[in-house]
Amino acid sequence: MVLVNGLGVFWPAAIAQVELADGETVLGAWVREETNPDTDEETFQLKTGNREFDPQRMDFHWYPKDSIRQVSYPSDVYVLERPENGDFFGFLDDVQTPSLELPGEGEPSERFQAALAEVRREQANTIEPIARQLSLLNGQLQKIGNKILKLEYRNKRAGAEADASLPDDDLAQLRAEEGEIKAQSDQLVAEKLAQETALRSNVALFRTASGEVQEIPLTNIVRWYQPNAMGPAAKIKHYAAKIWELLADEPRESNTEGGLFPAIFGTVMLVFLMSIACFPLGVLAGVYLGEYAREGVLVRMVRIAVNNLAGIPSIVYGIFGLGFFVYGLGGLVDQWFFPERAAAGVPTYGTGGILWASMTLGLLTVPVAIVATEEALRTIPRGFREGSYALGATKFQTLWRVLLPMATPGMMTGFILAMARAAGEVAPLMITGVVKLAPNLPLDGQFPFFHPDRKFMHLGFHIFDIAYQSPNVEASKPMVYVTTLLLVLIVLVMSGAAIYLRNQMAKRFRSRTI
Amino acid sequence: MHTDAKTILRRAKRRDAIARWVILLGGVTVIGSVVAILALIVGVTLPLFRQAQFREAGRFGLPGGQRPNEVVAVGIDRSVADGSLTAHLLTADGECTFIDLLSQRRLGSQSMRPESATRDKKVVSVERSTGGRYSLLWSDGFLSAVEVGIGSASEAQGQTAPYKFRELAGVAGEEGAQPLKAILCRSEDGATTSVRLFSGGRLIAERQVTTENLLGETEVKAQKLALDTTGLTTITAIAMDREGTSLYAGTESGQLARWQFDGDGNVEVRDALTAFSDRRAITSLAMMFGGVSLAVGDARGELTTWFPVRYDGKARLTRIHTLKAHEGPVEQIVPASRGRTLLSRSGNAIHLDQATSERHLLSIQPDSLVRNVGFSPQGNVAVALKGRELVAWEIDAPHAEVSWRTLFGPIFYEGYERPEYAWQTTGGDDFEPKLSLVPVIFGTLKGTVYSMLLAVPLALLGAVYTSHFTTPGLKRAIKPVVEIMAAVPSVVLGFLVALWLAPILEHWILALFVGLATIPATFLGFLVAWQAVRRFQWAKSLENGYEFLILMPVLILGVGFAALLTPGIEKILFDGNFRGWLYEAFTLRYDQRNCVVIAFGLGFAVIPIIFSIAEDALSSVPYSLTASSLALGASRWQTLWRVILPSASPGIFAAVMIGLGRAVGETMIVLMATGNTPILDWGPFNGMRTLSANIAVEIPEAPVGGTLYRVLFLCAVLLFALTFLLNTVAELVRQRLRKRFGRL
Repeated sequence: MVLVNGLGVFWPAAIAQVELADGETVLGAWVREETNPDTDEETFQLKTGNREFDPQRMDFHWYPKDSIRQVSYPSDVYVLERPENGDFFGFLDDVQTPSLELPGEGEPSERFQAALAEVRREQANTIEPIARQLSLLNGQLQKIGNKILKLEYRNKRAGAEADASLPDDDLAQLRAEEGEIKAQSDQLVAEKLAQETALRSNVALFRTASGEVQEIPLTNIVRWYQPNAMGPAAKIKHYAAKIWELLADEPRESNTEGGLFPAIFGTVMLVFLMSIACFPLGVLAGVYLGEYAREGVLVRMVRIAVNNLAGIPSIVYGIFGLGFFVYGLGGLVDQWFFPERAAAGVPTYGTGGILWASMTLGLLTVPVAIVATEEALRTIPRGFREGSYALGATKFQTLWRVLLPMATPGMMTGFILAMARAAGEVAPLMITGVVKLAPNLPLDGQFPFFHPDRKFMHLGFHIFDIAYQSPNVEASKPMVYVTTLLLVLIVLVMSGAAIYLRNQMAKRFRSRTI
Repeated sequence: MHTDAKTILRRAKRRDAIARWVILLGGVTVIGSVVAILALIVGVTLPLFRQAQFREAGRFGLPGGQRPNEVVAVGIDRSVADGSLTAHLLTADGECTFIDLLSQRRLGSQSMRPESATRDKKVVSVERSTGGRYSLLWSDGFLSAVEVGIGSASEAQGQTAPYKFRELAGVAGEEGAQPLKAILCRSEDGATTSVRLFSGGRLIAERQVTTENLLGETEVKAQKLALDTTGLTTITAIAMDREGTSLYAGTESGQLARWQFDGDGNVEVRDALTAFSDRRAITSLAMMFGGVSLAVGDARGELTTWFPVRYDGKARLTRIHTLKAHEGPVEQIVPASRGRTLLSRSGNAIHLDQATSERHLLSIQPDSLVRNVGFSPQGNVAVALKGRELVAWEIDAPHAEVSWRTLFGPIFYEGYERPEYAWQTTGGDDFEPKLSLVPVIFGTLKGTVYSMLLAVPLALLGAVYTSHFTTPGLKRAIKPVVEIMAAVPSVVLGFLVALWLAPILEHWILALFVGLATIPATFLGFLVAWQAVRRFQWAKSLENGYEFLILMPVLILGVGFAALLTPGIEKILFDGNFRGWLYEAFTLRYDQRNCVVIAFGLGFAVIPIIFSIAEDALSSVPYSLTASSLALGASRWQTLWRVILPSASPGIFAAVMIGLGRAVGETMIVLMATGNTPILDWGPFNGMRTLSANIAVEIPEAPVGGTLYRVLFLCAVLLFALTFLLNTVAELVRQRLRKRFGRL
């Protein structure tokens, strides 16, 4: 079910032009048919796009089936993907490019493509460098702002003690620098705006099915295609491009369109950090249970503890993470290292972030690692241990040189299972730092490159967010299915691999013991 | 060479020892983490039940020449911005003095005397209402309402005085008679209501409405009426709400009366009752924040709260909460302007109580006579005129609204018709948060029960079949499939159940019940038919592990029958609308996100767990037992029922326990598929809110360290305790089982 719904999302659907009995003509992609349970009327649903024309801003509509007069599939229908208002379905009328030097003659469709290419080139040449510069300046501004905050805080403390705050040259200099950069960035912003408005004057005129003409700035067109005119090859190409967009781009339209890159990245990063937190402890405890422990009260207690760790609801882990990591440890870190920001009411580590979320998940997955390690050690036949001891090895040497290398594949399966579990867990993340839209990745080009305090996005939470909290249920459905498909694939492939590996291993040792 | 070997040996031994300790530490850390989790979440909840504390925050001697008995009222405000304490003192000669108690400075004073009043007029009586408002009755019969407090930050700009004094309204008195007590209220829309109590029990209400007519002229409409006091003995206390719509009076023989005015000032409702059967005198009345509840203090030192409750369409004043009785008659009640704490003065002591939780928070017993008390609007500072001194106490009672009773017992909340278990934290009335955990715990149990109803039979039957009836090849295929099933993220299950299954079920809910009949029916029919087919060898060979091949179509047939029959049945029996019929016949509302949906979702999540553990337990029954049973001539069924199940029962029990633990704590599925309404209803067609979903829903909005935050941690403690119990029992049972079969 998920497979069908998820895979079909990006296949360019044919756009039907439906003439209705009341003379109205609509363009839209056919979604499904249903019998209205109250009126027993056969109805069908169209994705009509063009959200800005609808008073309720809906882009999905139901029509009674017997009102269809004629259905056609005109090949010159354009589908435009836009950064807002969803898709646009319509026919190309004309292209106006006042700020570009382009031939004014020729077929509208050719001119449209040429103009679009030109606009994109312009965007890449003029606006993007400015944007890059701006983000650089913003980084500097933030850094200076932090420095100023620090100095001010120090001054305040010194002032409180000595009751006389000295004029600070550094501070004044920093302030001047800040002002300079601000002016510079303001200028750039203005420049960018001017460029953008100039580019926005290049519009394409599109006609909707009902004959209304809509001016669409070329810069607002993320992607266009003519599904009815596409052959299978073109459709496959489009499909591939959409998949690439999904994997590599940022989300648009409150997460219901565009890509999943930040969420995928966040998930991977989270699982990676969680592994660092989880595996050492898991291996230690597993080795203890498997090799060192002698049956007794302590071991029974450890076993009970392991089982309880595995059985504690994940939300309890989440609330523990919130209380202990975020407000406890995070608060302490803030007090020690960023007192100036904490005093200004801006917590750095004292709020949810990827570090705390992964530590919480690490604790949650520890039992999986413990059980896997113990199991892996147990499957090693006694003979290996006895042989090692007979050669005079200490217990640690036996463990380090003989047992652990042999148990590695088994442990690996456990780790993969733990990672799969972590990738699919959402509840504890919701309270320890996951957000629906993170402005920055936890890993980027700004010093110190890795920001464990940042909030992050996560595939599972993405599903929850768009399935549960999206205002436009119909429009968000495709994205939920795609995200679900991706998450399920990741988790199932991981756990499938782990299970396969384990079964192979079981065979290996069985043959060896005989 | 020799020494080298020695050092190597020594190093090896040292490493061995270090490793031993590190690894032991690893093992102990696991116990440590469980204990730490419990300790932390319990630690966060503990302040909920801490006793309230108070400490003296400042004192100030009365300015020279001022006699303590001339002070008619004291009050205090605490600035949110800098924590400064500003006390005010209303004296009989019409002065309001402001004092900064922290720096012990007199900030200034303000004459409260209305322009019309002459120099020698004195304040005869003061009535206090919430928010720093006082009604002053002057000796010439003039009645004025004033508001006293600290200026807010925005108002304070440009104005040097850090305090605020405002005369709200004033009305001239009647010629002749001088009232004993009087209240003047000014509502938001400018209408004033005054009530005067004269000796002899005469009660006069007057309402003035100022309206602007079409021409822009102001018109004053006045309405004056004598209130009906028949049947009442001498009135000892009166109180009115801030809007001037209801008036309450208490008498010396324990009667309470209520008058409610309509927009024009006419009496709409009159309600009088004997509040206390022992006819104790009512000594003081005060309206609580919100203007609905009335706090009543009596001569026995008891504090009670009352509000009108509807019985048979008629609202009657009803006793709601009874607080701990104190010594001596209650002489003064000062409610906090936010929340439900009541400061009262009885005898020579000051008491603080919380009305909803009925918790007695603290008593302050000063060493000398206390004449008057005041309370800050936030309810965190109390002030008293003690001897010749003004004394303020900081009160630290951050979680006064929580007690075992509010968490687990039914509470009569303001505006409700009976005591109820309610969880409601958002929405208008945050002055009385409803934090009963009962509906949430109930929801948890309900969801668990419904899902276990589905999961336990399916998982156990599956485990029995897989472990003892099927072929080894099939068994090898089933186990990974179940494990994969266990790996499906719960958010995915939640999404599928909520957005895909729920609408389908809404449509086919009747088919589900029809299926409960048709599937077993087709099954029975098949069994009868099978007895006939069984005679052939090919059919019989299917019975050794491949039954499912033939049962699958039977199952599908059963489902198909259900789907076929449903529309007809719905038309004939339920008028073509099962959901409508449900509502009419049982007033059961069908929610799309309901327990049946949850049963499927949670069931799917729990089945693999129960299955795996139960299957392990069944498979670990030594084969010798099965073999000897079969050798003695027992059938497969007899072997299963008499031999395998008894030996594996502890393991199966453990499986169910662990599955239960998982179902109790599952968050995402219930969060997405229940609608999260905290209700007490066993019905299968409505939703619920579970402990885990409750935490997930509320914690992002709970301020750190606040009551809600701590109560949510309490939810986590409950969840922890529940799952800890289940898991520990299961683990102990399994350990015993392992020992038993270890011997065999």
